[in-house]
Amino acid sequence: MEEIKKSRIRTITSGLIPFVFLIVMILYIVGPSSDLLNFGVHLPEITVEKVEFIDSEIQVLVRNTGPISVNIAMADVNDRIQPAAIEPDKSLDRFETALVRIPFSWNHAEPYTIGITLDNGVRFHKFIEAATPALKSDYQLAGFFAIIGTYVGVIPVMIGLLWLPFIKRIGKNKYNFFLALTVGMLIFLGIDAMLEGFEVSKENLSANFNGGLLIITVTLLSFLGLYYSAEKLTSRTGLTASSKPFAIGLMIAIGIGLHNLGEGLAIGAAIALGQVALSTFLIVGFALHNTTEGIAIASPLAKTKSPIFKIIILGLIAGTPAIVGTWVGGFFYSTYTAIIFLSIGAGAIFQVALIISKWLYQSEQKLVQTSIVSGVGAGMLIMYLTSILV
Amino acid sequence: MMLMLSLIIGISIIIVFSVYSEAQLEQKTFVTHTGQVIYTSGDILDPVYTNSTVEFDPDQYLRNFNYGRVSESKTDQIIRDFTIIAEDDKIQEISPGVFYNVWTFNGTVPGPTIRATEGDLVRVNFINNGSKSHTMHFHGIHPAEMDGVFELVGPNGGQFTYEFIAGPVGVHPYHCHVMPLEEHIVHGLYGVYIVDPKEGRPPADEMVMVLNGFDTDFDTENNFYAANTIPFYYQHHPIQIKTNDLIRIYVVNMVEFDPINNFHLHGNLYNYYPTGTDLIPSTFTDMITLSQTERGIMEFQYKYPGKYLFHAHKVEFSEKGWIGLFLVQEDKENSGD
Repeated sequence: MEEIKKSRIRTITSGLIPFVFLIVMILYIVGPSSDLLNFGVHLPEITVEKVEFIDSEIQVLVRNTGPISVNIAMADVNDRIQPAAIEPDKSLDRFETALVRIPFSWNHAEPYTIGITLDNGVRFHKFIEAATPALKSDYQLAGFFAIIGTYVGVIPVMIGLLWLPFIKRIGKNKYNFFLALTVGMLIFLGIDAMLEGFEVSKENLSANFNGGLLIITVTLLSFLGLYYSAEKLTSRTGLTASSKPFAIGLMIAIGIGLHNLGEGLAIGAAIALGQVALSTFLIVGFALHNTTEGIAIASPLAKTKSPIFKIIILGLIAGTPAIVGTWVGGFFYSTYTAIIFLSIGAGAIFQVALIISKWLYQSEQKLVQTSIVSGVGAGMLIMYLTSILV
Repeated sequence: MMLMLSLIIGISIIIVFSVYSEAQLEQKTFVTHTGQVIYTSGDILDPVYTNSTVEFDPDQYLRNFNYGRVSESKTDQIIRDFTIIAEDDKIQEISPGVFYNVWTFNGTVPGPTIRATEGDLVRVNFINNGSKSHTMHFHGIHPAEMDGVFELVGPNGGQFTYEFIAGPVGVHPYHCHVMPLEEHIVHGLYGVYIVDPKEGRPPADEMVMVLNGFDTDFDTENNFYAANTIPFYYQHHPIQIKTNDLIRIYVVNMVEFDPINNFHLHGNLYNYYPTGTDLIPSTFTDMITLSQTERGIMEFQYKYPGKYLFHAHKVEFSEKGWIGLFLVQEDKENSGD
């Protein structure tokens, strides 16, 4: 007993020793007496993260994204100095945010550039294409978002599921084609989500947050996490041959649900940012696009007898996150959350694509055959063509 | 898995909400320089309220004329000796809350107003305590070697004595003329040089206004404009004058980058003497346009008491600080005539 305890302590100590040396080294480099790294110029930097237009006031969210703390000295609208309030105060530590409130009777739909000047006289600015009133969170608006989310997410997926009887009637090769079609669609959606994430990160996220690496990390984490838990799920519950397709359908539904959450975010944010014309296109485009997602869920279920209510539940799992997405996007949009959601969605989708491919391989023993290759190709093409509408 | 998911979602929600979670504290009220009233629990970003450590006092500069140490030679020549020291390491609060590396003559931007009478011998003992070469280049009439262009005065104590007969009558700028010239001017190495006519001008309440600007982010566009360096200063420290007093302003435009500047006076018109070289005004107006280093003398009287704006009618400049107020007070003794 004593022996075991002792060896345990030894293990822990030997694990900790490198940390101690690491801490000593860091203290040596950055400690007060060290002037080892005293070269170069520390340039302060802030990022204007969000601009909102409310009654006779422009609200600007700024974040210190530089290496040193900064003091905000001045605000301007269209390069003209304006008095403003800053809350909680004008000094910002690293990564700290402040809200700059500029009293300004802005004009609807006009473009504005909001500038923030630091105490060293350097000005940072953000351009807003068209000023529109910020949305107020209330039940009516939440209801409106819910309706849009339903149109975009729930109904198209349900319509897509109506192809189930058709897929049930077709032969094995054609069925494989539809499964492969699903894989193609999913690969497309996953890449689409990542690209969208990169775009959002490039436009709105400070380089400090390493947006690109964040997307890749979260996508991989989401992929690995879902893959691991899916494997555990299918092996532990001892699924019969007939219930396995349903498990795959469920995973596809979850993956697509996460994807639709991202789409909902995009729509909610577009409405919140006042790009209303754009969001009409978004809604029509996503609706058409998402009908194809119904096919993706329906395909693995085709050869089993799943009760209709289960299929409806799968449709809801895939569709309703769009509603949640519009709420989050419309009311609490932040670049950081949008990127994280998009990446989780991408990881989930890649995971599902892999699982279907594995499933196809298990039943066919090879993936290179006409029905599968043409299916993947057709899936990506269909997605591309419908995505032009968005 | 769900744990990881909810963890990620949880963290992102915290990031989103952290913005909104700052507690609402006590509300304070501020009346800003534009007249806007602001209620906030935080700080105010406004030149009126920013606790200023501005080392330059535009009120003092406004009516401060430096006549030099006066002596007479054996030939009855009046000699005026000035000492001007250049520096280029000063960080000054050029607008409340905004700090900028100014290059100065005698510690201020603009440098001291040098004043002499036509025909006086002006002798400027120039000392360069800066880290770069600097000179003094006076606009006016003088020998080539006194032009402050080719005779660089070296850093860390270099000296040169500029010597010339004051003339012509008028208001002129002086500035450093070392290359790159724009850099030396926009950092603040300039000032005003006034040559009075021998017979003098009628007595008046005299003041100097240098129209200048600062490009604090070095993008070759000015971030701030002002009459006498500090943006919005005379708007919240109105210049006090009296009705029926003759007001004479020596105005010099030192704004770089922007091709023109201008000067608009409210509730009044002024006699304008371009460059001040003629004793007869060329125009009676409320609006003059000034190019780089273009300057002149304005003369006017206010009939009615009250607050009157003066500002650039290039409104961009006035909204970035080149705006001020005259507070005209009734002069009981001097009224009616």
